[in-house]
Amino acid sequence: MTAALIEARALGKSFGPTPVLRDVNLSVEAGRGAAVVGANGAGKSTLIRLLAGLSAPSPGAAMLFGEPARSLEPALRRRVGLLSHQSFLYPNLTARENLEFYATLYGVEGVRAAAIEWLERVALGAAADARVRGFSRGMEQRLALARAMLARPDVLMLDEPFAALDADGAALAAALVREAMDRGCAVLASAHSAAALEELGFAVLTLSRGKLLRAEPSAMRQSAARASLARQVS
Amino acid sequence: MSGRGVRLGLGLVTGALMLVALYMVFVYVPTEADQGIVQRIFYFHVPCAWVAFVSFALVAIAGIFYLWLGQQVWDDLGYAAAETGMVFCTLVLVTGSIWAKPIWGAWWTWDSRLTTTLILWLLYGGYLMLRAMAGDSEQGARFGAVVGIVAAIDVPIVIVSVRLWRTIHPAVLVTRQGGHGLEDPRMVATLLVSLAAFTALFIWILCLRFVTLRMHTRLGALARSLALAEAAAQDS
Amino acid sequence: MNSFTAVLRKDLLLEVRGGQSTVALGALSLLVLVVLVFAFNPGGGEQGAEAAAGALWVALVFSGMLGATRAVSAESENGCIRALLISPLDRAALYAAKLAAAFIFMAVAEAASIVLMVLFFNLEFDARVMRLVPAVLLGALGFAALATLLAGISSRLRGGDLVLPLLAVPMFVPALIAGVKASAAALGGAPMGEFAVWLKVLVAFDVMFVAAGYLLFEYVAGEE
Repeated sequence: MTAALIEARALGKSFGPTPVLRDVNLSVEAGRGAAVVGANGAGKSTLIRLLAGLSAPSPGAAMLFGEPARSLEPALRRRVGLLSHQSFLYPNLTARENLEFYATLYGVEGVRAAAIEWLERVALGAAADARVRGFSRGMEQRLALARAMLARPDVLMLDEPFAALDADGAALAAALVREAMDRGCAVLASAHSAAALEELGFAVLTLSRGKLLRAEPSAMRQSAARASLARQVS
Repeated sequence: MSGRGVRLGLGLVTGALMLVALYMVFVYVPTEADQGIVQRIFYFHVPCAWVAFVSFALVAIAGIFYLWLGQQVWDDLGYAAAETGMVFCTLVLVTGSIWAKPIWGAWWTWDSRLTTTLILWLLYGGYLMLRAMAGDSEQGARFGAVVGIVAAIDVPIVIVSVRLWRTIHPAVLVTRQGGHGLEDPRMVATLLVSLAAFTALFIWILCLRFVTLRMHTRLGALARSLALAEAAAQDS
Repeated sequence: MNSFTAVLRKDLLLEVRGGQSTVALGALSLLVLVVLVFAFNPGGGEQGAEAAAGALWVALVFSGMLGATRAVSAESENGCIRALLISPLDRAALYAAKLAAAFIFMAVAEAASIVLMVLFFNLEFDARVMRLVPAVLLGALGFAALATLLAGISSRLRGGDLVLPLLAVPMFVPALIAGVKASAAALGGAPMGEFAVWLKVLVAFDVMFVAAGYLLFEYVAGEE
């Protein structure tokens, strides 16, 4: 039984008097994926922010690598990747410059080579030296995904990873996530609908009125079956 | 409630000290030779200044504890100290102005002590505006703490630089030409009593304000618990 | 390349790419100086030197506020500040990089201001103007340190643009006094002793505020 890399224990968060998250319990181990599904405003982004350490839990605990996410030491921060609905990209820098900057911050060996490699992987090689300001939403999303993953994190948190992606882009994203999980990364993703994530073998959790609920057992069996079928085919 | 008892006790002590101080300032102490009756305002002006500066230090200390320990009570104390200190700081400027007009013929003088107090007043004002703008949030408390600490660090260097820039504030009293300090022991006594009275007044008002802020904090926590309980009830 | 250098280099690159901050700061300084020439209507000599010194520092304060705001808000587009916060980047290094960027913008604007001041106030480009330089640089560093910390706060608040000048100006007063006095002493050809005293005040101010910013920035930058 490997230790959970991403963990929420009795996690709650209120904005003013309004509770957004209540008693959320969640754990994701290395190589596994959890999908959090819910309507707009259900609290998916808040949950990810808490687990990324951007927000403080009240009450409860949000942990990464067994440590509180809010006060993670730099050595552990290096192993965390976050994709938000904000792109975290500098519009006046080129795609390459954005990746090189973040690669430097994350202590990646061979910053230039890593940037080129990841640009190719998200099919943005041709746009390497174009400024992000001129990118379409889909291109931005792909670059943001590359940004989140280029340091080969052991924990990946993705807020609506397939948003604004066409079929090709989504397939690319799915392949990258699959590859991360195969090398032992724990992944937490949020989405409106679970379909694409279920196919990747994610456990599906629904966020409703602040509480996290497991999916129905029959649906779980179905998704497990689909996941193993997908692995056999590929 | 012992809390209420303490506040009442403080209020009574303050009232008593104030009555004694007022008697001493207006009846007991002799009129100063050069400046006349107006000089009596000195016995209000100086204690208010003392309180304003002490309160400022309190805001900074509360800020340090808040950032270190993360407990809301420290922020409530700091905010209460800022509001209370602001009142006394304003009084220093007003009494200083009232004193200045008959003595030096101008409503305002840029001497070192008044200028420093003006800067202090602006810093207080900035702090309060910041808190008003940030609203009732953890972020507001954190920003307030940072500003309070930085402002307090600033004050000593303000004092030094302003003093280098100017000094025409009179020596505490001029009882004769070129005189220095408080000559008459009755004046010393009056000043000390007034100091005690204003300190008591400050502590009393601070307590009242602090208690109000604590209640506000507790109400917030109760509202949150209520909302959680309601949501839980709707689950089932 | 370490993180501090990476962030600073990125900010300077963005500036060169059309950030327009140094241009805006230079333009603001120019306008301020023009207004003050009309306000003071300076003659030459001693009075002219005092007016020139004062005008220079008013321009420094106004352009400094703009510079710090710009340096800090470069991170607000697309939420980049959050990416920086969850990265291994040390908060103090982030502060140092923002401070350095603001200081560089200000230094460039100050160079332009000094030139304009000599022109507008009918002074000469001589050794006395050279003596201004250390005072102005120290003042710019102190103001950058102060304003970067405060801009971290004001950029997070709705309508926070008022907060920065409201707090920065009274806090800067000691350095402003010292800077104007030092500059007037330099321009008026005063003996080194007086000049040195005011420089010491500026140095003390800088040390305190850089240290304070370094220690306190993490409390300002953290998310709610």
